[in-house]
Amino acid sequence: MTSALVTTSTESGVTQIARTGYTWLDIPAEPDFARMRTQVGARLHAAMTEQGVDALVLLGNGNVTYATGISWPLADAGLSHVERPVAVVLAGDEHPHLFLPFREGAAMESDLPDDHLHGPVYLEFDEGVAAFATVLAGLIPAGANIATDELTGAMRRAGSALFSSAPVDAGPVIATAKLVKTIDQIVCIRRACQITEEAVAAIQKSLVPGARQIDLSAEFVRRTFELGATTNMFDSIWQVMPASKADGAWTTTGDLALPLLTTERELAQGDVLWTDVSIAYHGYCSDHGRTWIVGQDPTPAQQKQFDRWARIVDAVLAVTKAGATCGDLGRAATAAAGGEKPWLPHFYLGHGIGTSAAEMPMIGTDLGQDWDDRFVFPAGMLLVFEPVVWEDGTGGYRGEEIVVVTDGGWMPLTAYPYDPYEVSDGN
Amino acid sequence: MGTEIEADGRALRLSRRERALAQMEIHDLDILVLGRQANVRYISGAPQLWVVGTRPFGPICEFVRATGEIHLNSTWDEGIPEEIPHENLYGFAWNPMTLVGILQNIKGADTTRRVGTDALTPMFAQLLPMAFPNAELIDAEQALQAARRIKTPEEVQALRRALIVAEEGLAAGVAALDPGTTENALAGAVLEAEAAGGVSTPATQDAAWVTSKEHPWRRADGDGSVREGDLVALSAGVLADGYVAEVARTLYVGEPTDDVHALYRRRDGLWDKLVEACRPGVPASGLLDAYQQAGERLPAMPVAHGLGLGFDPPVVTPALRATAEADILQEGMVLAVTAYVWEQGVGAVFTRDAVLITADGAEILSAVPAYGEAVHG
Repeated sequence: MTSALVTTSTESGVTQIARTGYTWLDIPAEPDFARMRTQVGARLHAAMTEQGVDALVLLGNGNVTYATGISWPLADAGLSHVERPVAVVLAGDEHPHLFLPFREGAAMESDLPDDHLHGPVYLEFDEGVAAFATVLAGLIPAGANIATDELTGAMRRAGSALFSSAPVDAGPVIATAKLVKTIDQIVCIRRACQITEEAVAAIQKSLVPGARQIDLSAEFVRRTFELGATTNMFDSIWQVMPASKADGAWTTTGDLALPLLTTERELAQGDVLWTDVSIAYHGYCSDHGRTWIVGQDPTPAQQKQFDRWARIVDAVLAVTKAGATCGDLGRAATAAAGGEKPWLPHFYLGHGIGTSAAEMPMIGTDLGQDWDDRFVFPAGMLLVFEPVVWEDGTGGYRGEEIVVVTDGGWMPLTAYPYDPYEVSDGN
Repeated sequence: MGTEIEADGRALRLSRRERALAQMEIHDLDILVLGRQANVRYISGAPQLWVVGTRPFGPICEFVRATGEIHLNSTWDEGIPEEIPHENLYGFAWNPMTLVGILQNIKGADTTRRVGTDALTPMFAQLLPMAFPNAELIDAEQALQAARRIKTPEEVQALRRALIVAEEGLAAGVAALDPGTTENALAGAVLEAEAAGGVSTPATQDAAWVTSKEHPWRRADGDGSVREGDLVALSAGVLADGYVAEVARTLYVGEPTDDVHALYRRRDGLWDKLVEACRPGVPASGLLDAYQQAGERLPAMPVAHGLGLGFDPPVVTPALRATAEADILQEGMVLAVTAYVWEQGVGAVFTRDAVLITADGAEILSAVPAYGEAVHG
């Protein structure tokens, strides 16, 4: 990736509140899917070699999308474990094998060679696992080290008839490969963000007291699909914030609950909403959050919440670059917030993004300070920052910003304004 | 849906747990450690954030047979049934060892003998013995499938409610169907109507496609535009209160030709055979045979699957022929049954309906109209 510092920007969004480390990356307008598959394949194979894995058997939707480049409109969790594509990645074979279910019209385009495309496998059933075992025996050499991301009951019952030795967890291989995004993955994520922002902008413009939360969700799915979204990733959040922490839902942490589910609740004048939505474009996710006030401008106290949040984002971005650690960012955020961690204790200051809306690394979780301090950012990693600030009586402020970590800093993928809050002069 | 997040009704919760307990008894399971969203809902009765697609296994809900105690991964108590006290809720965790610690604290964890999980990863296969040092790890999905297979009356009610929303979604797709529209716009219309109808959580998002005139099951290669002469499949799937409803219809764009009429008549002939196969006491493979009897080629997708909280058994597909032959249909099962016929140069007619198996045979739960075609629901 080439990069060059620029000194001005006409974008709305985070560059209005943070400049230190701002980098411009040349990102193509459209993804090159063939190149993406080649480069992702190389990353996966490198991680397999490094970790001594000879064969990956992948069942998880996100992992199959990652390894094969296929995408399809994902189904509910309750349906998706039965009819699902399965991928087998072999050391020494540049192409993955793909076992495809035929869920109605699913558009599963793939440029894989014909001998790598297989019919569906049903790994929830003994009969399905037995058929899969026969195919695998012809693909995976005896004695190979196999890694997998899920063992269904039928797979466990099959035991050595399926895997000659107990498989290891595919998680570390996948996480290593996924950490740095290829340029075409970044293109897909940026496109997902653009689709999301265009849909959200229309919703925000028409937001009036009396609208139901669920109407916002309805408009969101319609607009994002019209604009080319493949999948709605989770139930859209339009959470009405309580007047005080004490008025909010009970939580295990004593802090705020988030995300609370969307209902038919009508929004009232002055409600403060924390929004959180995500779609996928060709298998790659957006993640979008802002704070809105229904039907009015922020009070001075509310505006101060945004100003505090903006200072935290600025401080975090000022230390974001390749070579920094999760710990560095957590400390910068905490210092900017006056010594308190400015994120919800059940979540994180930030997280990665790719075929899932949230993936590694997570910053500031129960993985612990040592873990955070040891996690060093490579260039080309993506982060979603989601600090929160809160003061009873204001509804607080929460927003999400996606950036690519670069050698010298960061490049934003989110370009959404902060209305109805005012961005002060900036820095 | 309403304006409050509420737990599933008490009768529904209790009827489901009773079935699960009976199966735990039969499979000799002391505790269930569940990670799948549908199983978690089945036991806990608590709505949780809907997230699309498969997820890696993790301990989200535990159900102890001896005490009936439920532990649930939830950071807050909104929508949590009264029988799950605050002290049994545990917040989101990113470190698997945090979860191991939670499991260790479940009363009796150190003496439990048989732990049932609904899936597993190699990592949790290593970690769970730290929480249950004297236990064997057993597959619990079979026990849960057995529990979920026959719907309680409360579950049938829930499925009927879900179907109404799916049907509204389908109707919105039908209303938006015109030459010049696109698959994306139709999918958007279907999903929007489902959400506005009170269900923003889709079971499926593959909602509209132009069927191929050249390939028996693929969607048409093209730019997603809908044109005169296309057979367009509309498929609505919602997840209402956890329950899946799926309905599908195929509509012709324009004035149907004789070939198109003939294809719809083939669909109707096939549908009659499929409905005949939906009765108690016969193997599920009868649904595969129905295609043969109607002289139709078996489609690439399963011909039927159980409906409930997600897929329930059976899954009837040629790839699982022996399984379907051994699976005897029973009263109280609900199936999504698919009719699919294709003709070179014309396209496909695809329909899907929800069918309740009753003592007297099939009761079609869907009330989707034919939309001007020969298709009946």
